[in-house]
This record gives sequence, structure tokens and C-alpha cells, in this order.
Amino acid sequence: MVLNLVKFSHIADCHIGGWRDPKLKQINTDAFFKAIDISLNEKVDFILIAGDLFNTALPGIDRLKDVVRKFKELKDKNVPVYLIPGSHDYSPSGKTMLDVLEEAGLCINVVKGDVVNKKLRLRFTIDKKTGAKITGLLGRRGMLEKSYYEELDREHLEKESGFKIFMFHTALTELKPKKLEKMESAPISLLPKGFDYYAGGHVHIVEKKDLPGYKNVVYPGPLFPNTFYELEELEGGGFYIYDDGNINRINLQVKNVFTINVNANHKIPESVTSEIIEQIQNKEFNDTIVLIRVRGTLESGKMSEIDFKKIYDLLNEKSAYFIMRNTAQLSTKEFEEIKVETSSIEEIEDKLIEEHLGQIESGWDKEKEKIMIKSLMTILSSDKKEGEKVYEYEARIKDEIERLLNI
Amino acid sequence: MSKGIIISGSFGEIQVRQKHGQEIELGELLIAENKTSKILLQVYDLIYGSQLSSSNLELVSGMKLEENSDLVFMDEKLRNYNLALLKNLITITPKTAHSSKSLPDFFSSVREVKKDDLTFITKPSNPLYVGKLRSGSKVLDVDIFLPGKKVFSHHILIAATTGRGKSNLASVMLWDILDNDYAGILVLDPHDEYYGRNKLGLKYHPKSVIYYSPEPPAGARSLKINLAHIKPNHFNGVVPWSDAQKEALTAVYKRYKNRWIEAVIMDEEIPGFMEGTLAVLKRRLLSLLDLDYYDNKIFCKGVFDTQAGQSTINDISDDLEKGKVVVIDTSSFAGNVEILIGSLIATEVFNRYKKYKNKGLLKEKPVISLLLEEAPRVLGKEVLEKGPNIFSTIAREGRKFKIGLTAITQLPSLIPRQILANMNTKIILGTEMQPERQAIIESASQDLSSDSRAIAALDKGEAIITSNFTRFAIPIKIPLFEEYVKDKVKEKQNFLDFSGVKFG
Repeated sequence: MVLNLVKFSHIADCHIGGWRDPKLKQINTDAFFKAIDISLNEKVDFILIAGDLFNTALPGIDRLKDVVRKFKELKDKNVPVYLIPGSHDYSPSGKTMLDVLEEAGLCINVVKGDVVNKKLRLRFTIDKKTGAKITGLLGRRGMLEKSYYEELDREHLEKESGFKIFMFHTALTELKPKKLEKMESAPISLLPKGFDYYAGGHVHIVEKKDLPGYKNVVYPGPLFPNTFYELEELEGGGFYIYDDGNINRINLQVKNVFTINVNANHKIPESVTSEIIEQIQNKEFNDTIVLIRVRGTLESGKMSEIDFKKIYDLLNEKSAYFIMRNTAQLSTKEFEEIKVETSSIEEIEDKLIEEHLGQIESGWDKEKEKIMIKSLMTILSSDKKEGEKVYEYEARIKDEIERLLNI
Repeated sequence: MSKGIIISGSFGEIQVRQKHGQEIELGELLIAENKTSKILLQVYDLIYGSQLSSSNLELVSGMKLEENSDLVFMDEKLRNYNLALLKNLITITPKTAHSSKSLPDFFSSVREVKKDDLTFITKPSNPLYVGKLRSGSKVLDVDIFLPGKKVFSHHILIAATTGRGKSNLASVMLWDILDNDYAGILVLDPHDEYYGRNKLGLKYHPKSVIYYSPEPPAGARSLKINLAHIKPNHFNGVVPWSDAQKEALTAVYKRYKNRWIEAVIMDEEIPGFMEGTLAVLKRRLLSLLDLDYYDNKIFCKGVFDTQAGQSTINDISDDLEKGKVVVIDTSSFAGNVEILIGSLIATEVFNRYKKYKNKGLLKEKPVISLLLEEAPRVLGKEVLEKGPNIFSTIAREGRKFKIGLTAITQLPSLIPRQILANMNTKIILGTEMQPERQAIIESASQDLSSDSRAIAALDKGEAIITSNFTRFAIPIKIPLFEEYVKDKVKEKQNFLDFSGVKFG
């Protein structure tokens, strides 16, 4: 097939259903809608979603309905969606809503292949309109997908001619930013070389880079930030549109973000309260997410004496859409013996796991043991899904554990 | 069976008459048995002996040569013989082994050493395999291990003429260390020979080595280092800056912090320095870091990058801290770029371990060793005259922080004596040049003053280990890497769980 111009959107990490709070949860969905609408206006040939469309393998019905509606709209307009499962919406038991969407003809999971001579040989999905050849690998928790890459028949993929896209949901060692240096990653050399576009996901960073043998390695970042830190850092989300070799970033600002940063060193709670109020007093916060970060060590008093209620009331009066506060790096001299852990939950878990490695007689090396423990924790912390019966839930968890442990 | 009889000499210079029909080799280990102990002796020289005077010998030889006569010696076995000069290595009692302080009995016979004599050679904790015990050219079935943790933190010198097996030894040691996690080793590999890109190498070890290369094969990591990680002090020992340039570097770093290289290249304001000085800095940085600058943009052509490689130095340091072996292929770089990369990592690791010591956390960390080929490039007298660098700092202070050097060189005489003396384990392979042998002998942990000839005569793969952590200078035969790993290479088990991939 002779290839003409190719124009596509590259989206990743939508995490639909991600935030716990309904107001923020809605923004995830709104950002997704907005990205699809922009893509349609831009008349893209197809859309790529590089993992974590949903925040879980079995999302709630409401969120599912939203996505189905939008996918249906794309299908009606003949804009195919090619996707890969990510670490959040992949399920070891195979029970993922992505399968349902694919069965309904609303999207195509491009992670298809065969095992030939003990190697994983991926197949290309060919976009009918443009002839673009798309393939890729899913993302799994604890970087379990790394073993897929190690057994990947790269040569087979590399010798295929035409316009090729490789989708991946994996942190690449070479592109990891300093702030994510502890994140597990894989070297780019595990990916097949010579593709025209590498559509990445998983790492919530915005990066577009050429590396020797690998051009257009792109991480679009999330459609909407997923943590307090990401909101501070990114403020909004976005995605990329590839148009015949030109790659342009489309920023999505669904809500405004306003950050208040207060250093509490040598201050008392009342002063911190006044300082925050001073910063918000003469401003309006329509449709704005307000982030309040207080760090440092209070000279005296308790952290709970900072009058957040008063601050929240004032911000709500000023029509703030949502208010979040972070005091993880705040302490007080009165309780100096308490060390405040500034790390994320994942980092704390990692640290604890590492401290206790080697205590079980598993026969695994430390790396493998760490991965298995993390995978078990993920499976065991999975909630019962909406509409899922208790016995179904138990069977699912049991099945996932059995698969993981290869029982 | 007796190989000879002790006939004369003094402590350290014992003379043995060799039994006719027996062969005694240079470097051979012999046992002299006393009533309550055995003394392990080593041959360090061989000479001829004869009952005939030298004038008679000259006459007899002349008759044989000039008159073609059929002269034979009467009682030849008795009249002509070999003499071996031996030195005491260690005294072995049934319960222990200790340094020799007495002579073996006069006129006692010496025999070849047997495995049973050497039961005092045991496997230390954190053992590092280096080869088998050697007696002359004979290899004994006695494995030699060094206490890995100690020898790595107290620096190792591997010295030999080209082609005598330095890299082979390093490969064997690295293979062995991969089985353990008591030491993290950083290998700067200027010949790209350890990983085994196209041959048998460390990549075949069941526990994978971590490999960085500018052109990585599948599974290896691309070597990219972010410019923000480089500080002016990383150039110590890499680039000889003038005083004015050093001051300018300090000033620009102070002003622009981790953007300082970009600031120099993009001609940003740096008050108080001559344009010429800044222009030289810019030119040298562009060249060294393989960068281009035009249209107000910096283009990165090589390893150093404005965007990528933000976590590389930390990733490598983390892996070393986990006791892994990290090999960096520096074969495509100029020497000073290789040293700059080494300097960046060494500085990070050194600073981390210093902090761990302050916090009392060092005990639980593995020892880290930096394996440097052609070590005089960073530890040579000439280099160090221009000022210290991180490697010389590690050579001096590293052992306090569990960081050591494994320095490989064919020219140890270029390394200052003080640093050589700090290298508490020396693995000496065949070294033909006398000044090089002398430098090693003078800084050895044991008295090798009589071993110069034995060192020169060491064949490929033969070595002598002198170390603060061995009781005597141990002669060894290092296995050929390919032979050594032949049975240990395991085909990686295919991980055939491809859950999530749609088949058919």
C-alpha cells in the first residue's frame, strides 16, 4: 500500500475514573472529551492511546458509558482508536474493559502476536486509511512487561517496511527525569529500532526526543494531572498531534490551577493562616483548582492550628472549583521527634519492601522478589468492582494470584 | 618423592641440591619436613653446580667442542647437578600456619607440595576466586580465593605486559563477583571487551551485568548523561585548565549552577573575565562534550545531552550500591571523555558513601570498586602533579568509605609510590620490563626482592598475588575465561508468560 499523509493524535494516561473526589474525577473525563473533540476538529486519521485509558481494568459504569459514547462518535466518523493496555487497565486475569470495547468494535488493541521459536513476534495492525503499521506492547505493574521486551523478536519488526508506529507503556531509562530516578525502567535498546514514531505512556512527563536508532520517542504526559504534585508541576495535561512529520503539542487546560506555597519555618500557625489568606484575599477563583502547600517547621503550635476551615470557606466564597492541601513536608518544633515522611505511598512501600527482602524462602532473587511482592500487593489491594459479586471478586483475585505465582 | 636436599644457605636463601632425574622449576613450591612442622619453600633461582673446578670444566668442554671426543663424566649424577635457591614462605603445623621464623633441618630432603599440605588455605568470607595454586608451571587442585570485601576496598593493582592476561583475569573476577552482592563494580571498558557484545562475556552470566553503551545492543542502556550533572570539579584530571580558566569555571558555576555549561556556550553574562578566557572555555567544552552551537541552540551529538540522561549517574550509583556490576563501553570515546564519565560516577558514589559513613549506614552497604584500565592516565605522576582528582582521592581515602580502585596497568612505575603502596593487593602477571617489576616489588605487601626473575618468567595466565590479606605471596594460574565459564553459562530461561498479548 502506498502511504500518503498520516495525521494522528497520541494520547496516553487518561486515567479515567482516577481521582477519588467526584469533581476531579469528572475533570479526567472532561479532558478526555476535549482531547477527542480537538482530534476530530483537526481531522486526524486515527487516535493512539498508549495505555491507562482507565484507572482500573474494570471501571465504573458511568465512566464506561462516557468513554463508549465518545468512542462511538469516533467510530461513526471513521476515526479508529488504536490502544494498548497500561499498568492500570491491564488485568492478569484478562478481565479488562478494554476487551469489551474491542469486542464491540470501538477500539483496537494492537498488542497482537505469536510465539515463534520461544520469541514473541508481534503483528502489525494496519490502518486502512493511511496504511500506517501499528504495534506495541502493554504495560504491567512492577515492570513485568520488561520480560516481554527481552523475548521480543525485534528483527522481525525492524525489517518491516512502511510507516511504522510502536506503542509502549514503559518508563525508558534514557528519558527518565531526575525526579523519577527511582522509578523502575527499561533501556530503549529493548524496543525495535527504525520506527517512524514511538508512542509512549506511563511516565507522566512531556518529552519528545530523538535517540540513535529511535526517532520521535514521545511521552505526551497525562491528559489531566493525577496527583497533587503533578497538578503543581504540570497544571494541565495534553497530547500530541503528528501531522506528516510535524509533531505538535496540544495543551489541555480544563480548569485553572492556582498554587499557594507557604514556608512555615519560624512561624506560628496563625501567621501561616494569615499568609495564605493574604495571598487569596484580592483574587477570584472561578473554575480554579487551588493547591495549598505548606512546608517547613512551625516555631510553635500544632499543625492542626492552621485554620484551613477559614481558608477553605474563603476560597469557596470566591467560587474555587476545588481546593487541595499538602502538608506532608510540614512539622512543628513541638513534635520534632516525629519525622515527616515526604515520600509518596509508592516510595514508602518500596522502602519497606526493600528492608524486608530475603525473608521468605521463595527461591527468587531480590529483584524478582520485589516485583512479585509489589504485584501481589497490587492484586490484593484491588477493590471489588461495581456490580461484581463477592464470589466473582474472590475468584478474580484468586485467579490473578495464581497467574502471578504460576501455580 | 624427594626432589633434593638442603645443603647450605641462610634464612630466605636456602640452597638445595636437586636430585638427578627430578626437575625443579622456578617458582616451584617445595616442602621441607621437620619433626613437628612442615616448611613451605619456593624456588626463586636455579643455578648449576659441579664437583669439578671451573678450569677443568672449561677444559673438558673444549675437548668436546674442538676435538669431537667422546668424553663422558665419571659418576656424572654425583659430579654435576642443579642447585635451587629457595625462600621460606610459611611454616605449617598440624593446627595452624604462620610466618616462618626458623630454618628447615640441615640436610633434610625437600619434596613437591601436595594438596594435603595446604589445608591451611581456606575459603575466606566473601570469597573472590582468582584461580588455582601454581607450583612452578604445575597447577595444583587448590582453589585460591581472596577476601573480596577487603581486597576491593583496599585497592587492587593488576600489572602485566600486554598479552599476559590482565583482561582475562578481570573477566574471571567480574564473573565471580556477579554471583555475589557484597561488591558493586564499575568497569570503564575502553576496549569494549568485558560485556561480550560479539563473544563470550559477562552478558552470559545468569545474573545479568548492567551495560551502558553509546550504541547499546538490545537490553543494554544507552549512555546519555545530562549536562546538568557536570560540575567544574569533575574536570580535575580530565582537562588541564589554566588558573584563569579555573576561576572562570568556578564563577560561572556559582552564578548559573547546573546551567553553567549552557551559560558558557550561549555566551551568557559572566562579568570579570576576559573574552578570550571565556572563548577558550566555550571551545573546549564544545569539543570535549561533543556539542554544537548555532542559531542560539545547543545540539548534542554524543553522550552528553541537554535533555536525556537525567537519571543516568544516579541509576549507575544505585546499581553499584546494590552490589551490581556496571560496565560502561567507552571504546568510542577519547580518553579524557572516558575519564570525565568515570569522574562523574566516582564523585557521586564517593559523596554518597561519605554521607552513609556520617549517618552510620556504611556498614550495610556493599564495597564499591572502580575498575580502571590504563590506570596511570588518572593516577600517573604527571597527571597528579597538576592536581588531585577523584581517583587519587579514592586511592588515598577510599578504603575508609568502602570504595576502592582496581587499577590495571602495564606501567606501574608511572604511579606514585605512595599510591602504589596504598594498593594492598597486587596481582602480578608476566612483566618483562625491569623498572616496572622493580616498582611493584618495592611496594609489595610481602618481600618479593628475590622474585624479579620469577616475575619476568611468568607465562600467560600465571600470576603472583601479594596482598596484606594473604599470608604469603601466592603463585596462581588464572583460568582462561572461556574455559572457566564454559560450564557456568546458562541459557536464560525463556519467560513465556505473555499475558495480555492477543495470540492467533
